[in-house]
Amino acid sequence: MLSGGGLTLGSRLQDVSLSLEAGLMVAVVGPNGAGKSTLLQVLAGLLHAEGRIQWNGRELSRIPFLERGRTLAWVGQESHAEFAFPVREVVAQGRHAWGDDGRGVADALAALDITHLAGRPITQLSGGERSRVFLARALATGAPLQLWDEPAASLDVRHALEVLRLAKGLALAGGTLLVSLHDLRTALCFDRVLVLDRGALVGFGPPEEVLTPDLIRAVFRVQARKAPSMVLELPS
Amino acid sequence: MKGRALGATALLGLLLLAAILASLALGDSNLRPGEVLQALAGRGDDLARTVVWDIRLPRTLVGLAVGAGLAASGVAMQAFFRNALASPGLLGVSAGGALGAVMALALGGAALNIWIVPGASIVGAFAATGAVLALARRGAGPEHLLLSGVALNAIFGAGTSFLLALSAGQFQVSGQILFWLMGGIENRTWEHVWIGLPPILLGCALMLPLGRPMNLLSLGDTSAQSLGVDVRRLRWQLIGLSTILTALATAVGGVVGFVGLLVPHLLRLGFGPDHRRLLPMSMLGGAALVLLCDLPTRFLPGGLRLGVMTALLGGPFLLWMLRKHPC
Repeated sequence: MLSGGGLTLGSRLQDVSLSLEAGLMVAVVGPNGAGKSTLLQVLAGLLHAEGRIQWNGRELSRIPFLERGRTLAWVGQESHAEFAFPVREVVAQGRHAWGDDGRGVADALAALDITHLAGRPITQLSGGERSRVFLARALATGAPLQLWDEPAASLDVRHALEVLRLAKGLALAGGTLLVSLHDLRTALCFDRVLVLDRGALVGFGPPEEVLTPDLIRAVFRVQARKAPSMVLELPS
Repeated sequence: MKGRALGATALLGLLLLAAILASLALGDSNLRPGEVLQALAGRGDDLARTVVWDIRLPRTLVGLAVGAGLAASGVAMQAFFRNALASPGLLGVSAGGALGAVMALALGGAALNIWIVPGASIVGAFAATGAVLALARRGAGPEHLLLSGVALNAIFGAGTSFLLALSAGQFQVSGQILFWLMGGIENRTWEHVWIGLPPILLGCALMLPLGRPMNLLSLGDTSAQSLGVDVRRLRWQLIGLSTILTALATAVGGVVGFVGLLVPHLLRLGFGPDHRRLLPMSMLGGAALVLLCDLPTRFLPGGLRLGVMTALLGGPFLLWMLRKHPC
């Protein structure tokens, strides 16, 4: 159970309150600069905001760093890769808070389809491959709360769908996921949608209830129209 | 990679041992390895004992401390700034140490007491360290610290140039200043050893356990924090240890360039970026490099000092590195 109350950070986040039970996959949407990344970083305890955040009834700020590393995983949009660490070692960093026991590393590599890259230096990977490495590292933490900031932004269509399937699997297993994204059609596959506009929460609930043509026009200033179009999905 | 790195660490250890032995054996009077060991044990003839215990052992131990300290400091700076081109002098600590020492030399302090020049250097370097730490404490990010380092380097460098110009007429003093600015470990005494060696070894020992969190930090501080690293504390430890090691190394060895840049980078190219291995390897490699670069200065003309030797080696290497990894 994750809850945030009155989260405020300058004009970037204004009095956002939310409460999520376990087993939910939540899409965080909003125009550029709406505060999606800020909200995820605040919920991960990486940015300090006014208000309170609780995880299973405990204040997040009171949870020690190492325990936080076992509780939540965050994947950012930017990745620094100045030094040529092999992919396997980067993914194994997800076990830092567990005393580097190496558990689940091989599974995380397989889940993100990067086992064949395990020995390659991260500096030699493409942007999309690198995103998958950092997702695998988050997965390897085994943390029940996963916060992913636009994980699909640089992924090809198949890997984007696989990441979505992976997220669904984690939610089914009782995890809580917050995933920021731009594609509103993808957001329709999530359990809940959280809409931010200029730092404020303007919609939260099941996607079909929240993502109405009126809200989409007001927030994104585009016209939503249902029409038959090509559907892409993973082969069964 | 792991096995290779272990083997390389052992080789570096052997290289350092050989460098220590050579440093004790070679000079105006060359000793055989057996004679060195005998003298170390307090046996053998008087001359060999005096040469080893009073001249070469202090010089060797100071060189070892300077090399290990600068290389460890370089590793920490490179992890801190996530940039393989960061070096111990980046934040102005060595320039501060240089200005302190140059002040003491310009005022004729060298003749008064053996502690004065290293003492003044420590005061200068720690003043710079204090400025850096105060900035870090106020939450300055890496870019802010980097620019502050540029400013501190400029200020201390200007002071040093000014004092050097002032003393241009006094050949002995300006000669001492120039020699000091070129770095060197000749004529070191046991006082220098006590100033430099124990605290540098302690600093190195304190840095070793930081290797693992440094790995996480070098891939981004926000993600490192999300994985359970107390990033604020780690950055504080890195910048503190790194500047103090540089300050001490500068105080006893003068301005010795490129060791902190060259050694970690070279070892990273050969054995990967894992700081758990890079730290001990760099300490061994830095110590060996300084001792080996010191050897030719004993036989070559006076101008080819330690700082000149390391720069002659480091400069071309940096150019080659820039060609290989264009910015």
